[in-house]
Order: sequence, then C-alpha cells, then structure tokens
Amino acid sequence: MTTLTQGRPAAGQASGPRRRAALRLLERADPVPVLLALAAVLPTVALLVLAAVMLTEAYPAIVFNGWSFLTGRTFTMGNLYGTATQVRHGFAAPAGARYGVLPFLVGTLLSSLLALAVALPVGVGAAVLLAERLPARVQAPLGVVLELLAGIPSVIFGLWGVYTFGPLLSRTVDPWVAAAGLPWLSGPVGSGQGLLTASLVLAVMVVPIIASITRELVRSVPALTKQGALALGLTGSESVRVVTMPFIRNGILAAGVLGLARALGETIAVLIISGNALNTYPHSIFAPFATMASTIAAILDGALTDSTGMALHSLAEVGLVLLGITLVTNLGGRLLAQRFAATGLPVGRGV
Amino acid sequence: MPEPPGGPAREPDRVANPAFEIADLAVSYGPRVALRGVHLTVRRHEVTALIGPSGCGKTTFLRCLNRMNDLVPGARVSGRVDFEGEPIYAPTARPIEIRRRVGMVFQRPNPFPKSIYDNVAIAPRLAGLRRGLNELVEESLTRAALWEEVKDKLRESAFSLSGGQQQRLCIARAIAVRPEVLLMDEPASALDPVATYAIEELIGQLKRDYTIVIVTHNMQQAARISDRTAFFTVEGTDTERAGVLVEVGPTAKIFANPSERRKEDSISGRFG
Repeated sequence: MTTLTQGRPAAGQASGPRRRAALRLLERADPVPVLLALAAVLPTVALLVLAAVMLTEAYPAIVFNGWSFLTGRTFTMGNLYGTATQVRHGFAAPAGARYGVLPFLVGTLLSSLLALAVALPVGVGAAVLLAERLPARVQAPLGVVLELLAGIPSVIFGLWGVYTFGPLLSRTVDPWVAAAGLPWLSGPVGSGQGLLTASLVLAVMVVPIIASITRELVRSVPALTKQGALALGLTGSESVRVVTMPFIRNGILAAGVLGLARALGETIAVLIISGNALNTYPHSIFAPFATMASTIAAILDGALTDSTGMALHSLAEVGLVLLGITLVTNLGGRLLAQRFAATGLPVGRGV
Repeated sequence: MPEPPGGPAREPDRVANPAFEIADLAVSYGPRVALRGVHLTVRRHEVTALIGPSGCGKTTFLRCLNRMNDLVPGARVSGRVDFEGEPIYAPTARPIEIRRRVGMVFQRPNPFPKSIYDNVAIAPRLAGLRRGLNELVEESLTRAALWEEVKDKLRESAFSLSGGQQQRLCIARAIAVRPEVLLMDEPASALDPVATYAIEELIGQLKRDYTIVIVTHNMQQAARISDRTAFFTVEGTDTERAGVLVEVGPTAKIFANPSERRKEDSISGRFG
C-alpha cells in the first residue's frame, strides 16, 4: 500500500474529484490480496525451483554414474590436472574419478539418528519440566535461554565441539564406553573428533528445537484435564504420563522430524568435528566419518577446478539425495502423525 | 476478621461424625479475599448443595475440601477443614491421599485423551491394582449409569462420547478410586437438559454410597437434588468484596422459608 501511494504523489496533492478517483483506483487495485496470494505460493515455488535446479545440475552425473552412485563406496574426483577423461553415456569425467555416495549417506543417517535418539528424550523432558514442573519465575528466563540456544550459529557449536567438548569426551566418557568392549562401541577413541562427538553436538543443536516446540505443545494441554488427573490423586509425573503425553504425542513426532531435518542438513559443525573422513564407514562410534552436507562443503572448492564439470554435477547429485531424504523424512513424519491421529486420539481437542 | 452482619451462619444442631467440619475458613488469592468466615458441617450420605451468585466463593469453598486450591499460585487458606476428624490442612496431611478419598467432578467434562476403559482404569492401575480391573471398570461405569451405552466400545476414545456421556465417564472415573466423598462443581452446567436430567438422577442414586457436595447456580436444581443447602453470597464494598456463607439448613426448609437476606438478594435480582 505505502509504496503505491508514495508512487503517486500527484494523487495525494490533487484536490477534490481527482483525489477521490485516485483513491477509488487504489481501492480497486488493492495489492494486499495479491501479495498474500504471492506469499502463500512462494514456499511451493521455492521448493520446486530448488528441486529443479538440483535436478538440472545433477542430470549429467545421474546419467554418468547410474546406480553405482548410490552403491559406490568411493568418492574421488580423479586426476584434475591431467587431460585424460573417461566418457560414459556421452558425459565425460576426469580419469580415475569415481562418485559413490554410500559412506556419506551412512554417515548422515547414523549421526542424525544418534543425535535424535539423544535429543528427543532430553528435549521433551526439558519442555515438560519447563512448562509444568518449574515455578513460573524460573520458567521465563529458562525459556529465553532455550530460544537463544536455538539461534546460535552452528559454527560456534562446531568450534565448541572441537575445542572443548570433543577432547573432554575423549578423556572422560569415551574410554569408559570403549572399555565395555561392546561391538561398534569400542576401538581407539582418538582425539574426540568423530561420530559420537558429532552426534552429541548435533543433539545439543537439536534439543532447543524439540524443546521449544514441545513446550508450546505442553502449554496447549487443557488445564481442566490436568486438574482432573490431580483430583484423582495422581502425582504430577503420573499426570504428565496420563494426560500431557497422550495429548502431545503427535506434536512430538512433528518436533522430532523437524529436529531430524536440522541434523540431516547440518553442515559446518559436522565438518569441523567429524574428522571429515572420506570414503570410510564409521567402524566404531568414535571413528571419524563424513556426511553428505559436510562433504559438499569440504570438496566444493576442488570440484570447481574440474574442467569436465562432472565433480560439480556429482556434488549436485549428493545434494539431490540429501534433499530427497529430507523431504521423505518430513512426509514420512507427517504420514506417521496422521496414522497416529486416525488410530489414536484427537489431539488438542478437549471436550 | 469482620463478621458478616447478623453473625456467621451456623447450624444450631451438631451432628456426630460429620464428613467435613469446617470452621472459620478463609481463602485469598494474592491480595484478594475470595471467602471468609465460613463455618459448615457436611453430613455423611447427604447431598449438600452450595448455591449463590457468581463470585460468592462457592467453587473456592468446594476446592478447599480436596485441597485443589493448592494448585492455584498465590492461594492461601486459613481456618480449619476436618475430613473424618482429621485436619486436611495440617502440615502432615497428604494432599494426594486426600484427593483419593475425596473425588471431584468438574464444570465441564474433562476425560483423559485415552480410551473409555483407560479413563476409568488408569487411576486404580497407577495405585497398584492389577487384578479385578475389568470388574472395577464395569462396576464404576454401571454406577455412573454409562455401562449399557459404552460396554461394546470400551477401547474407543473417550472423546467419541457425547458431552453428557463424557461427564458420566468422569463420574465413573472418580468412583473407580473408591472415594468417600464426591465433590461436584456445577457438573451439568455444560450439558443439555436431557443430559442434565441424567446427571441429576445419577446423583440421587450415588448419595446412598457417597457423601456429595455439589455447587450449582441453579436454585431449582438444588431444590431437586439436595438434602441440605448452603447459601453463599458476596459481601463488602467494591474494593473489598468477599464471599460469605449466609444460610445453611435442610433444603426443604431453606426453600420454604427463605431468610430475609436471601429474599433481599433474590428480589434485588442478584440471584435466583
């Protein structure tokens, strides 16, 4: 509105009928509904454009790599300084180049799921504590801290992980875990850069997301229903189990999916603390590894020097797979929530 | 504490072994006094109706009887509330224990987001009951006059029931922990006339086994269902208003010979 009126100084200064006519015109050309409609379709358009761009950029790689992209265990850009190329299905790549995403895929899923496994109970517990159990005068400041935590740039978390948290883990917790001798939970603990540290740092980043969503969910539980539980002689924690949890179950699922998406896509923090081990699976929980996102960031610079362009196209394909996983996670969570809602109970509906 | 004009309402006749004996009860929420100077005896196996205009503290009074006012931040209770001879506001009294013995039904139905069966079974199960749960659920639902309507869909969500059925479910839920007293806070105020009638019928049956204290703002309802009526009103100037108990006695007597006070209130349109 404002821009339009500013754009017509004559209308503002004109007197009498002209001014009224201008106002009528303005009214008829009310831009607000149009802008709202634009705003409404913009997210869809953005998603489609993103997917289209990734698909276009990845297309040569998809044709060149075939299925071996998903099953391949090695991602190497080949000899970027020579002139020798290999050609497959009409697309060229530097000699010796192989593009396999599987180790990154495994690293991404493992670190994200581990992070979620830690962050979900912690986040939900923190939210219930914040919204139900703590006195009101503590709730507000702690809530602010929670929101601050959610807004801290991930590179800070990464630095904290590499300076403090990782070394601390490798000195204290890791040796204990390793000493238990369980398969996959033993092995050299190293300096604290690896899957466990990365997953825990990711968890710290995911907890505020889950906790702040869950806190709002807990607050939306009808007070009368909670009172009903207490009036039966249930304790506070029994009331949480009987009333609060069933009410917010679906919402927690949604919060978990959002948190998982955050962990799946986290790039810089993971790059800093993962040990950035290309082409290996994490053989133990302490082993260095790499994720799809961290790998894209790590080798993009080198990929830009590939004169055939196939390295870039393959990185786009990595991005495409990551995008696909994120979308599937979100849709899957949505479907799961719907199934819960269908078989279980309506949520947020009191009487 | 200033006495209400004409002295506090006391019943002349003392009874042996009352369910509740309340003396000089006062409740304030922060700086606001909600209720003061209440003396009242609640007799066993009777329906005691609490009536009065809104803001007179009748719900506040009810919530003193199972210590639900503990949950309101800033609430302070003074005076004496004896339940079965034990002071329930003594430091040694355990609110959770009291709430198991003094059940409560709320203004609006508030079933748990669980199945019909679980709504009734959950509190006994949490209290450690394992055997005979099915029988207890059936017995409680039968007593709440709901069994016939829900016996084939016990696993369905409690929210699938109508408002009146939900309220009877909440009564069944309260009964299932085998309380001695049922407190009801305008239990039919959110219900249609048919469901209200069902609840009133039910109260008539329940009083054989339970002591019932019911808040209502419907005088006719009080007249229909209660044995004794306690009439509360608001007193004081606009800045210092507090609920007081004006009159208490057998319902028939209260409604046949309303005291001057209550007539005044009724005529002046404040209540009834």
